[in-house]
Amino acid sequence: MRHLLPVILLGSLFAIAPLFLSDYWISQLSIYLIYGLLALSLSLVWGYGGILCFGQAVFFGIGAYVMAVMTKGMILPGLTHTFIGLIAAVTASVLFAIALGYFLFAGKGISGPYLAIVTLAIAIVLERLMSNWYALGGYNGLLDIPPMNIGLFGFDFELWDSIPIFYTLLIVVFVIFLGLSILTRSSYGMLLTALKTHPERLAFFGFSVLQLRLSVFALSAGIAGFAGALFVTVDGFASPTLIGFTLSTEILIWVALGGKEMLMAAFLGAIATRFAESWLSEIFGDYWILALGLAFMASVVLLPKGLIATPLSALAKKLKIRL
Amino acid sequence: MDFILPLVDALSYILILVLIALGLMIVFGMMGVINMAHGELFMIGAYVMVVCQNSGLPFLAGLIIAPLFVGLLGLIIESLLIRHIYLRPLDTILATWGLSIALKQLIVLWFGPESQSIASPVDSMVTLGTFSYPAYRLLVMGAAILLIGGTFWTFLKTDFGLQARAVIARPDTAATLGINTRHLYRWSFVIGTALAGLAGALIAPTISVDPQMGLGYLIPGFLSILVGGAGPLAGVLAGGAAVGGTNSLLTVWISPVAAQIAVFLLAILVIRMRPEGLLGGKK
Repeated sequence: MRHLLPVILLGSLFAIAPLFLSDYWISQLSIYLIYGLLALSLSLVWGYGGILCFGQAVFFGIGAYVMAVMTKGMILPGLTHTFIGLIAAVTASVLFAIALGYFLFAGKGISGPYLAIVTLAIAIVLERLMSNWYALGGYNGLLDIPPMNIGLFGFDFELWDSIPIFYTLLIVVFVIFLGLSILTRSSYGMLLTALKTHPERLAFFGFSVLQLRLSVFALSAGIAGFAGALFVTVDGFASPTLIGFTLSTEILIWVALGGKEMLMAAFLGAIATRFAESWLSEIFGDYWILALGLAFMASVVLLPKGLIATPLSALAKKLKIRL
Repeated sequence: MDFILPLVDALSYILILVLIALGLMIVFGMMGVINMAHGELFMIGAYVMVVCQNSGLPFLAGLIIAPLFVGLLGLIIESLLIRHIYLRPLDTILATWGLSIALKQLIVLWFGPESQSIASPVDSMVTLGTFSYPAYRLLVMGAAILLIGGTFWTFLKTDFGLQARAVIARPDTAATLGINTRHLYRWSFVIGTALAGLAGALIAPTISVDPQMGLGYLIPGFLSILVGGAGPLAGVLAGGAAVGGTNSLLTVWISPVAAQIAVFLLAILVIRMRPEGLLGGKK
């Protein structure tokens, strides 16, 4: 339980945040929570599973589009409930990840820089595809996606205001966060470490490297798809940028800046970068992106463990907690 | 004679792609460094031409300054950035990605996000029967062939090239035999970046020069290397021909979007099925 305390503490900090924030910042924070969830998914597959996925937005985008299509009733007009949309979105991302993962990892498979370039190319292909798929809005995307409806059995309970949206997201995101924290410390987490560092030895011990790789890839994709689905209910808008190259590399930067090998650092990396972006881009304008690029470069060279992970693990050592 | 024009266009695109991919290939093949900022170095080569044009320098001066300037930039990048992460190849992707963002934004801050155009130094058309083609594009193709030939000559026939290939094949043995690998890495990186700068300068008059132009060449460049095979230097010719040729011909026959999607998917298939590339032997 001890190692879950930091996550619970962070969750409580978020829970009291609306007391001090304006409505605008509460809704911003809701979006940041979703990005944080997305960062957790990349941290899982990259930092723990050792699979450098340059196209994590692919799964986010698939979740977003499936959610949009389902809740707008574009395929099944009778089944437009939020929960059905969420289930469909997660299923779609997981299935896509299993198919893609099987293609990429089966047999000799590809890894390292090859994998990075291939996943990047897939993100570009999908972005192109969605920009030109006119039934799904093409370049303009899909508008007017209904908000979350957390009522059941005929009762409707739609979330329109920023406070209920924020707390719903907070609970969902932190439940997943806690789940991942437990998972990465379980025997499965041990297997992931082995998968990252010595996959060939894992095979000697009788584990199926392919199955393990597929499982972590699919789990991460499912979480990313779930984040995408949540995102469109809050934003009301699904566009090709959600599935593409730019968002993919942004997620990578959040996670690398924060620290890919620590869930907490990746999560905070996403939130800190997004927060800094909306805050500093007002002050510094276009210089902000320049600074971000330089900071990213410097952090990769000087602090490869991440800007947030390095001080956090030093602090954790002092407090005798394993983060 | 309708089919000649697309074929010449395809050849012209292939040559530029090979020129860009050669620079990437030298760096990737030798050091395992994936240089995501290569597209931006190519872009800077084109912007050098913009500066030269604005300050009234002749076109040829630009062609000389661009590779020198970008090569110098490469030297700085190597000593400040790449040198420290040679042993972490995956981190080079991230670090050079940061560099690419920074360079792109520098250009935006300096020149603005809008696209610039460069006047072509030669306006005439070359006409052969019913077929006519801009003379400058033919010149670019000729220059590209010379540069590709020159790079191959350097790597296949000179002492520097012999040492470089030794370092690619067996870095440790090469170092034991007294080859200064650090020195070779540095100058190969500089040659790669200078090539990118020159390629950007050469084709600047034929395209619209804007801060986002790098990526459109970077990814096809990488796919060319991976499709062709990163082992033998000739792989880049095969890969560039496959990726560039398919792309330009499908663009004419179907549509630019379909062509790009098809080429990327085909390239991914080839990379997956033949990780050693079209020309690479089995390991």
